[in-house]
Amino acid sequence: MKIRVEQSELSDACSWTTRTLPARPTIPVLAGVRIGAEEGGLHLATFDMETAAKVHVDAVVDEPGTVVVSGRLLADIAKALPKQPVELTLEGSRLSLRCGRSSFGLPTMPVEEYPELPAFPVEAGSLPGSEFGVAIAQVAVAASRDDTLPVLTGIRVELEGDTITMAATDRYRLAVRRLAWSPDDTSISRQVLVKGKQLADLGRTLGEGDSVSLSLGDPESGLIGFSSPDREVVTRLLHGDFPDYRRLLPKDSQTVAETDREELIESVKRVKLVAAERTTPIRLTFSDDEVLLRAGAGDDASASESLECSVSGDPIEIAFNPDYLLDGLQSIPNEKVTLAFTEPRKPAVLSDGPDYQYLLMPMRLGN
Amino acid sequence: MASCVVDYEGRLTAHLPLANRVIILKSDGSLLVHADTGFKALNWMAPPCTLTEASPGEEDGTLVWRITNKADDQLTITIHEILSDVEHELGEEPGLRKDGVEAHLQELLAEKLAPLGQGWELVRREYPTPIGPVDLMCRDEHGRSVAVEIKRRGEIDGVEQLTRYLELLNRDPLLAPVEGVFAAQEIKPQARTLATDRGIRCLTLDYDELRGLPSDVLRLF
Repeated sequence: MKIRVEQSELSDACSWTTRTLPARPTIPVLAGVRIGAEEGGLHLATFDMETAAKVHVDAVVDEPGTVVVSGRLLADIAKALPKQPVELTLEGSRLSLRCGRSSFGLPTMPVEEYPELPAFPVEAGSLPGSEFGVAIAQVAVAASRDDTLPVLTGIRVELEGDTITMAATDRYRLAVRRLAWSPDDTSISRQVLVKGKQLADLGRTLGEGDSVSLSLGDPESGLIGFSSPDREVVTRLLHGDFPDYRRLLPKDSQTVAETDREELIESVKRVKLVAAERTTPIRLTFSDDEVLLRAGAGDDASASESLECSVSGDPIEIAFNPDYLLDGLQSIPNEKVTLAFTEPRKPAVLSDGPDYQYLLMPMRLGN
Repeated sequence: MASCVVDYEGRLTAHLPLANRVIILKSDGSLLVHADTGFKALNWMAPPCTLTEASPGEEDGTLVWRITNKADDQLTITIHEILSDVEHELGEEPGLRKDGVEAHLQELLAEKLAPLGQGWELVRREYPTPIGPVDLMCRDEHGRSVAVEIKRRGEIDGVEQLTRYLELLNRDPLLAPVEGVFAAQEIKPQARTLATDRGIRCLTLDYDELRGLPSDVLRLF
């Protein structure tokens, strides 16, 4: 194998594929990245038995071939190399990397031990990459990070005609986002559960392209794929029943407040400074065109701040976990945020329109 | 509390040069020598052992304690200066009561199998295998056998233990195939990796929730 590739392209490709490398690979070869050189370029692939990532890189291929080398090491080297063409040559059982005056030799791992990547499923439709990326981030924030209930670490993706609905909840908050897409079959009706972490990673990196294709295998295969022109990811779906989240969404509200999102974020960040523990609540009192934020009480440090806010309906005092409140506020892209309440013990809804809702469970109010 | 020199002779020899230390002599004969730091004693002698006190002025120090056990290990404490010498009767020790012990977790989980899965049934607690009992034997919603090992802290050795049980249980044609669940309040990443690699499901247990303690935090569901 002998190839020449631009440093920046190799570095981008390495850092993208190696993000899915397992931290503790049970099969040593899975810590590797598979480099395949064929006519017209090369591809880099990683696979942790759950998620496979593959990227195409333009390169001059003098001699085709396939090698597996340590992914982490290759990514670190590629990133540190000077901005010049990199020459990769397989010499015996070692891969040599030359760039400018630097040269590296990497031991290779047996290619035949590298597992076969899962077959990429059939394309089901496409959607704008950047919007998809934003939507994933808005939902992934509410997915559970501990796996007491494995289904809650997932993001539910519902494909109904030309609408995709994504939802995630960790039992303290629920994020729901709707967006339009272009399905190949407009009568599509599928619901799948994708690992939140995987999807969030993907959203950040695949979203740079213009258009992302979504692919689904038949229900038995349990695979979902995402691809942009030169990158593709396929991951195993989660099993289990996602809770019926629609019944959690309040049907009406007693109090609706609208305020400047940035200002509210800044206020929450300031007031939360006195919250000694992560679980110390921040109290919000909505009344007469203002909201009063307070945290801390008694002998401990305390803080309060008021903010202009248009309030309609009954005044309300409600307490939240400040981090969860910030997560919600930061997930809303608009200048204004609407907060809707029913009761101090019932969930509040943060939104900026019909397409995104962030449902947040309040905390018990202390005295 | 005394400034002392400690010499140990037995399976190995050890010497602690002159310094201030805390010497604890317990009613059952246990003797411990502590420094100002660390939770572990610098030197100790477990009972049964005998203490003989040599008369002052006989050697360099003011007082010499010789502690000998049955194996003829000898601990010699040469006391140069006594800083403080106190004696108290502490009375009976009620013993350590651990919260969240495995037995209680097992009991709670056996009562309510819901965290394991919907429609699960308990076969029995302490299900016997030739190498010791497995914490819970259950049938999942499809009637398949599942062995559950419960730990407070889930570490590698717990996974190994469950693996051994599963291997033996799977030899029983009436039970096989037996799946495994490794349940703990906290599961170490290494243990999780090993369990996953062996096809054992990991489950994090919420002790407060199992006990039905009202959580301070409100939940959506």
